[in-house]
Amino acid sequence: MEDRREEPVFLEPVVSVCPLGDATAVDVRVVAANVQAVFDLGVDILERSPLPEEAFLADRRQYDAAAVLRHLDAMVRPPFRKILGVTTVDLCIPVFTHVFGEAHLGGRAAVVSSFRLRTNENGFKASIETYTHRLIKVALHELAHTRNLVHCDNPRCLMHFSPKVNHLDRLPILFCERCRYLLTQDWRRPAGMG
Amino acid sequence: MVGRFKILVVDDELIVRESLVGWLKKGGYQVDTAAGGREAISLLDQKDFDLVFLDIKMPDLGGIEVLKHIRVRYPQTMVVMITAYGSVETAVEAMKSGANDYLMKPFEPEQLTLLVEKLLQQRRIIEENLLLREQVAASEQVRYGDLIGSADCMQRLFDLIEEVAAVDSPVLLRGETGTGKELVAKAIHSKSGRRYGPFIPINCGGFTETLLESELFGHEIGSFTGAVRAKKGRLELAQGGTLFLDEIGEIPLKMQVDLLRVLEEKKFHRVGGTRDIPVDFRLISATHRDLAREIEQRNFRQDFFFRLNVIDIEIPPLRKRKEDVPLLADHFLKKFRRETNKPVEGIEADALELLMSYEWPGNVRELENAMERSVVLAKGRYLRKEDFAFLFRATAVPEEPRSLQEMEKRHIHRTLKSCGWNISRAARILEINRTTLHNKIRKYRLDAVERETDGRP
Ligand SMILES: [Zn+2]
Ligand SMILES: [Zn+2]
Repeated sequence: MEDRREEPVFLEPVVSVCPLGDATAVDVRVVAANVQAVFDLGVDILERSPLPEEAFLADRRQYDAAAVLRHLDAMVRPPFRKILGVTTVDLCIPVFTHVFGEAHLGGRAAVVSSFRLRTNENGFKASIETYTHRLIKVALHELAHTRNLVHCDNPRCLMHFSPKVNHLDRLPILFCERCRYLLTQDWRRPAGMG
Repeated sequence: MVGRFKILVVDDELIVRESLVGWLKKGGYQVDTAAGGREAISLLDQKDFDLVFLDIKMPDLGGIEVLKHIRVRYPQTMVVMITAYGSVETAVEAMKSGANDYLMKPFEPEQLTLLVEKLLQQRRIIEENLLLREQVAASEQVRYGDLIGSADCMQRLFDLIEEVAAVDSPVLLRGETGTGKELVAKAIHSKSGRRYGPFIPINCGGFTETLLESELFGHEIGSFTGAVRAKKGRLELAQGGTLFLDEIGEIPLKMQVDLLRVLEEKKFHRVGGTRDIPVDFRLISATHRDLAREIEQRNFRQDFFFRLNVIDIEIPPLRKRKEDVPLLADHFLKKFRRETNKPVEGIEADALELLMSYEWPGNVRELENAMERSVVLAKGRYLRKEDFAFLFRATAVPEEPRSLQEMEKRHIHRTLKSCGWNISRAARILEINRTTLHNKIRKYRLDAVERETDGRP
């Protein structure tokens, strides 16, 4: 076996992770560390930002994910190319009762919410480990959407659509070969082309 | 696959359109939008959509109106109504007007995903069956008596049958088991001047020597043990018509002499009899054997062969006319649906692809048996790939325990053979990529194996 490691390189800063509202520092750090490890990208944590008021839907007592994404999108500053928000509030989009996270396909902003990840299908509280895994999975999944990845047929792939926490629990924190390939292709594209 | 499906989202609220479009695009679908009923109609007139999401309440033209328009102009397009002001009545009205389903805002993300998948699956099956039906319709002229085939080789065969039917010379049909030799013989008979006479078939391989003799020539009372009554043989029964001797290669040498004499003298006598009986029939014989080799090995008489083989027709094996597989499969599907009364409507495309990838060593008869089995055992309205899995397992006889490697080698070899060494097809069936397959062929030296076995005469 040959072991020819490449020269250590400084990871180019690409993704900024932004705590929104009362997101916990632990959640934010865990998400940032996993984005860096899985995508092999430079990641930085931004200052905490309040949730945009206009995103709050009084009649539904939820936050409009699209409005949160617009808010995040406006915060992107070079050299960062992507922004990932972490929040504890319940997110929805007009047609859906709720979403775990949301992202602009091929865009710059993604968001993950911990609101529905803390409890299991049966209503019991999830273990801290299960909860953390869920948070990481949704964050990576949404961020991959911003890199033009669509849902994948492979049920053992992180890009497989999972509408429920128990689905989420069955997914590995891994992309299938095809999605991994698409991701590396996309990351290689120079800024401004993706 | 998913990307082929075109979806139109019609809603007057931008935010609803955006969220629905964003979601569907992440699912990998092609999506267009319209902000109102009129815009939707003009888009529908320009472009085909598989599925339309339609808001019921829109200011310029309501969803129900658009739905009615779609039902008249584009009956194949599927429609899902969306409403935030949903009352049961509007939903019921929408379904009565021909909507495929409806959703009330806000709905669970899973509901949307499942609904889209379900509808597009239905659409896929409909399309595939239309395709199959078109193929079958396009091939109405491909039926020739009970023979079915659109392949060039079959068209040539049909032409040949016409020519051969016009003359009265003996015909020798050559073809593998299950290719339909008897059907060809019948077709020749029914096109010939003897069509009002009898068609008398006999499988020469199906009898012991004594019984075959009596079947062919008939017998007088007491001519052999058990002959308690006089009996007409098939030669006699074929009077004025056509005698079809299937598996002629199985006829014992002594009887070849007898038959040769009959063909030359146009008369014979029954077993145990002395009376000459004149005969007048057309002889068609058939064999799956290589008679030239049988002659070489002195199992078959050359003079008899020349007498039989005035006209020589070769019937192609099914693997050489795979384009006919859908046609034949559909034909047998209908036949067994009638016989079993099972509500089987068609075959899914990937199942058909599987059937076309198979080598059919037993030819049309094997396909017929496979269709019978799958129709009888079918659980759904469409035959699926799994319903034909037995074809690929049929060769598995109980074996001694073997190593995993040995099993892999054998399995790959078998699959390659069944695909006629079409690497892409074999790789697809094995669910590995072509490079991996090539590597395994090299590893197990399967190409060498193939040369050895195929090199045999
Ligand atoms: Zn997704
Ligand atoms: Zn994947």
